[in-house]
Amino acid sequence: MENIIVDARGHQCPVPVVMTIKALEGVKGPCTVETHVDNETAVQNVTRLAGSRGFPVTSEKLAADHFVIYMQAPQPASGPSGEPRAEEIVCAPDRRGSTVVAVTTDSMGHGNEELGKTLMKGFLYALSQLEELPKTILFYNGGAKLTTEGSLSLEDLRSMEAQGVKILTCGTCLNFYGLTEKLAVGEVTNMYSIVETLAGADKIIKP
Amino acid sequence: MRPRLLRLIVSFHTTTAAMAMERYCLENAVPGRLIPIPREITAGCGMAWSAPPEEKDTVLRAAEGGEIEIAGTYVLEI
Repeated sequence: MENIIVDARGHQCPVPVVMTIKALEGVKGPCTVETHVDNETAVQNVTRLAGSRGFPVTSEKLAADHFVIYMQAPQPASGPSGEPRAEEIVCAPDRRGSTVVAVTTDSMGHGNEELGKTLMKGFLYALSQLEELPKTILFYNGGAKLTTEGSLSLEDLRSMEAQGVKILTCGTCLNFYGLTEKLAVGEVTNMYSIVETLAGADKIIKP
Repeated sequence: MRPRLLRLIVSFHTTTAAMAMERYCLENAVPGRLIPIPREITAGCGMAWSAPPEEKDTVLRAAEGGEIEIAGTYVLEI
């Protein structure tokens, strides 16, 4: 399958969206388009473009100023006239709100642990589908297991991170569980930052 | 608007059946993932298996192989 790379770093909206549309116009068959951008809002807008065309899309943060959106185009994807559809070239406002989510365990609620783990995976998936994403998600104590290798929630968390959600995991907790080297998404944080984040939040959700 | 994709959604009569489906599918590399059942299918609470629509045969074979009873299958934009 053809793989097209669009480097839109250094460009502000709507240029990354327009560059991606132009790349899609040139394809002859199924292909993967990788769009590289340098800000979270561009990730959201290019992701929205993929959604408007019904293409599977994922995204990840490679560095503080480097994000990549992968979309799979099953067929040549230009509009009927070959021109980009006007509604696709939009600069929507940032999807992030000011809510902080505190994940304190890898199991949601009390009772059966296996059920709790299933519920927590469902919670993080549903969180990633919100129209207004949280500003920050904090993971501490058992919650630290969700941001490390082997977690089934990594895809949801990486997608939210690429759209600008801060994913912060307690370093003390990673150390305690022997997971320091296994962090797979977001950054390590400490108790001062955790307290500041919680204290500065407009609203805190604790699943 | 967040992106919406066409997905195959398989629902189950019980939560334990949905969890058994996840176990079986992970062990056998069957495409898809467990998600909270979309509101378009039921207002109730439950989990469902979500996969690309073209994987329907593979998913249904997996349910049969794992002896997991399915309540319904749907294709919808989520």
